[in-house]
Amino acid sequence: MRIGENAALDALCGEYLLGTLRGRARRRFERALREEPRVATRLAYWQRAYVPKPSKMIELEPPSRVWARLERELQLARYRTPWHRRLGFWRALAVAATAALALGIGLEVLRPVQTEPAVQIAELEGKADVARVIARLSRDRRTLELKSARAVVAGQNQSYELWLLPAEGGPPVSLAVLGSLDARFPVPSAQADRLRTGGKLAVSVEPAGGSPTGAPTGPVILVGAITI
Amino acid sequence: MLDDHEVKKLLLRAAARDEGSAEAFERLYRLSAPLMLGVAQRIVGRRELAEEVLHDAFTAIWRRAEAFDPLATQPVAWMMTIVRNRALDVRASHDVSRVDSYHDAPDEDPEGALDRLFDWSSGPEDGEDERRAARWLRDCLARLQAVERQALVLAYDRGLSHGDLAAHLGKPLGTVKAWVRRGMANLRACVETCMGGTRQ
Repeated sequence: MRIGENAALDALCGEYLLGTLRGRARRRFERALREEPRVATRLAYWQRAYVPKPSKMIELEPPSRVWARLERELQLARYRTPWHRRLGFWRALAVAATAALALGIGLEVLRPVQTEPAVQIAELEGKADVARVIARLSRDRRTLELKSARAVVAGQNQSYELWLLPAEGGPPVSLAVLGSLDARFPVPSAQADRLRTGGKLAVSVEPAGGSPTGAPTGPVILVGAITI
Repeated sequence: MLDDHEVKKLLLRAAARDEGSAEAFERLYRLSAPLMLGVAQRIVGRRELAEEVLHDAFTAIWRRAEAFDPLATQPVAWMMTIVRNRALDVRASHDVSRVDSYHDAPDEDPEGALDRLFDWSSGPEDGEDERRAARWLRDCLARLQAVERQALVLAYDRGLSHGDLAAHLGKPLGTVKAWVRRGMANLRACVETCMGGTRQ
């Protein structure tokens, strides 16, 4: 659209910003805004001189579900700094090695485990809105137990995955895929001796069934240092 | 108020679509969502619709961030337009007008309404130009005829269309359109007189 003389352009800028330019008229104006630089220039002038700043008094705190939905729908996890780099723990990821270790542990979660006295080995913490989780290891080092300060259950299409960040370095190792942060499960035998001071435990949010790559792909919600 | 410089940095970071883009977008959301939700709520009048507007607007902001002009100087206004236009569309499609009675409409106490709805103070990032522009705009709005000011404020703050305004004010459509048009022209003449006064 060619917008005629300046008086008409000013009237359109004013009504566009006011909000009374509607429907087709608004869409035509927006097309002109993209295609004709002088329209954009004039609108910027109107914007600066005639639009008051809204008062802070009208602000409303959005519920967390709005952001959670945006994060999911826009698949923002793809554009996050990988957490192991963000935490500064790992230089390189040996994805293949991790995948090999992580295979086959998912279903072990379901197997009942006998009770045995356990010692606390880590306290996992995250952002304020995630409950703190205590990790306990049985004396025979074969059973790990997580206890959450309050009930935290994964969404329908999500699982939690518990990772060991070994004390000696190297890529994160999957310990378990969980539906809830209150859980008890066998420690993969290859990892039992690696649960020691200097290592860390971390929980990430993954697609249902656990990380498809064998390395953490979703946001890390909890981290804690191991002390034995 | 939101700092244009900071908002622009975050928008461009989000538009880069690489590692760290999500963090920048999240920070942008945390900084601006409360204000944007407030603006949407004023227009659509219902909380669940306002949250829907917020969601749709930020989806559009993420998608259009790549088209955002790095030279543009008013990124906050750019975001605000996206939120407002989405809110206006939702308002129109849900026929909010019939259930809303605008108890806090600026019919009485017009000066008070101007100060309640808008923030005329200047932030630390504002220069002398911004301070002066805000003062002129407030003074000129206060000087408008009451019916013109009322029409402009209701349209901007509550998202009333010409038709909504006519229904709410109980006047013919033509009369209301004339108030809006004249109000805008008078506001502009007043502000430009102030601007001209400083040039000499």
